[in-house]
Amino acid sequence: MDCLEFRRLAGADPQHPAAAMLEHAAGCPRCTGYLRQTQELDRHILAALSVPVPPRHAGRATGSAVPGLDRRRWYALAASIVAGVLVGSLLWVGGPRNSLAQDVLAHMDHEPEALVVTTSPADDAVLGRVLERGGIRLRPEVGTVSYANSCRFRGRTVPHLVVQTDGGPVTVMVLRNEPVDAPVRFAEERFAGTIVPAGPGSIAVIGTGDADLEQITARVLAAVDWERD
Amino acid sequence: MNAPFAGKDGETAFARLCEELRPDLFRFAFWLARDRQVAEDVVQESLLRAWRSRESLAETEAAKPWLLTIVRREHARLYERKRFETVPVDDLVGSESPELAVAEEQQTLDLRRAILELEDDYREPLVLQVLMGLTTDEIASQLGLTQAAVLTRLFRARQKLRKRLVAGANEEEG
Repeated sequence: MDCLEFRRLAGADPQHPAAAMLEHAAGCPRCTGYLRQTQELDRHILAALSVPVPPRHAGRATGSAVPGLDRRRWYALAASIVAGVLVGSLLWVGGPRNSLAQDVLAHMDHEPEALVVTTSPADDAVLGRVLERGGIRLRPEVGTVSYANSCRFRGRTVPHLVVQTDGGPVTVMVLRNEPVDAPVRFAEERFAGTIVPAGPGSIAVIGTGDADLEQITARVLAAVDWERD
Repeated sequence: MNAPFAGKDGETAFARLCEELRPDLFRFAFWLARDRQVAEDVVQESLLRAWRSRESLAETEAAKPWLLTIVRREHARLYERKRFETVPVDDLVGSESPELAVAEEQQTLDLRRAILELEDDYREPLVLQVLMGLTTDEIASQLGLTQAAVLTRLFRARQKLRKRLVAGANEEEG
């Protein structure tokens, strides 16, 4: 792959660079810079596209998302949800939690370039904006943050950070709107992770088998300050 | 699973899904129509159609692209029924449109204006990719294009926006 082809592909889909692109970028600082700039441009584009939503379309508000679903029917739906929770409380362990973990793992595939071993910290301004959008502060004790992005996850914008550790890069996703009752652990072929209750929601910490997740999770939890509810 | 949104449980699941996707469906409709009121009407009508046909969906994963298709069709249908007055972007920018007035930063405002000025062929794939999170394959399928054509449009869309930002920065310096 030459620089021209790299830039054509990076300009078309900067968030999902193919393996051949990453290979080219590893030996070409200018193309690496171009990719980072284009990813930064995308963050601005996302901010610009996220126009304010009128209250009736804001979701999780009063009334029904579905037109024609009148109040009585909405009550019936709510009742069926309550009944489902009561009857199927045991399913909670295997259902939504696993679903959240699966979504977190699926998200990891979107930004494979984030998981490089590096000593270079993320750009301070970029990190600052990501934290601000996520409504959190991060104390320096967390260690070197090599990557920061505001990502779309389950319809919301969440901070996606990568922290460099002795056991390799570890992904941290701050999920303000995804509360969990207790820590959830999960593992698959490439990654192992945990989702722990934190602030108004949860924090997902994902690494490879070499990372000491328990210790890193404790460090992350101690380093995150929630600015707003 | 053949019909994930059939029956009582399916109703509940579908209502929750619509609730979750509704803000982004509004934003998608806004960027198609470039008009807040039209976007509201399109989303309302689209959700009604989707609700009536929800049992035809064979897979939960297909729900989002399916809803986007309904929004696109409903938008096109609305334009067939009515002929909207064309509003120059400058008028839209100059008006008190909340999409433009409530931008957090000047750069966001400039970029929003630039996106509004993009040709539909460039704006729509960009919105589907950046805002809706579709892959280039999914965008190609959604728009009936080849993947190569989608990649070209996405590349050109970003090039145009990049040029606008650079020009804006130069003007500020000058």
